Amino acid sequence: MTTGHNWVVLDTNVWIFGFRNQPEHPACSQVLRRLNRLYVKVPRQVLLELRANLSEKEMSELFRLLGHYPDRIDIRWDKAEMELVRKYQKLGCKLGDAVIAAHVEEMNVRILISENRDFLEEIKGLPFRVLNAEDLLRELESIK
Amino acid sequence: MSLTINELAEKIAALDPSEQEALIERVAELNFQRGLETFSQKYRERLTQEKKINQKADEVMAELEKIRQEIAADDYRT
Repeated sequence: MTTGHNWVVLDTNVWIFGFRNQPEHPACSQVLRRLNRLYVKVPRQVLLELRANLSEKEMSELFRLLGHYPDRIDIRWDKAEMELVRKYQKLGCKLGDAVIAAHVEEMNVRILISENRDFLEEIKGLPFRVLNAEDLLRELESIK
Repeated sequence: MSLTINELAEKIAALDPSEQEALIERVAELNFQRGLETFSQKYRERLTQEKKINQKADEVMAELEKIRQEIAADDYRT
């Protein structure tokens, strides 16, 4: 499966490392530069985490930028279904991680991009893949 | 060599419609990328002022993890 026309979710760490130009995670900035070529859903939990890291003015500016591509960047403020959150908690996820997994499953997204190597690693039978930013760039290159 | 807006418009209008469309898309893409770069630069300036710009990735990740659990606990309080 390639990322070509599939929606992806970028974990908060990808956004933040990208904005910071974090030297240990250079692929995150590259992914953000290619946002206009991806199909990205931004779920509530990620939005709230971004809001906790950005000032009000920064958040407004980010929304303005993301608004350039309404067909490709889908901002979702709805909460994840509690039933799905509980499902992931029962599988061993902490609440916050369970919420992210529930969002991804609920939105039928097949790829979650995260720089957290251990994220959801021990959960068997996930209905989506977890890739890091470098993997995503590699997949994008392969479908050029 | 710089062109006036009118000269530039004349040149663009002389292009095929498909070329015009590609050009408009490319301009939009460049504007988006520049906007994102400016956003990122301002964010980094704020982090510099707050002496957080040199945080290691592991430290940032640990903070993000803490924020994740706090937000979820608040948002899904039963």
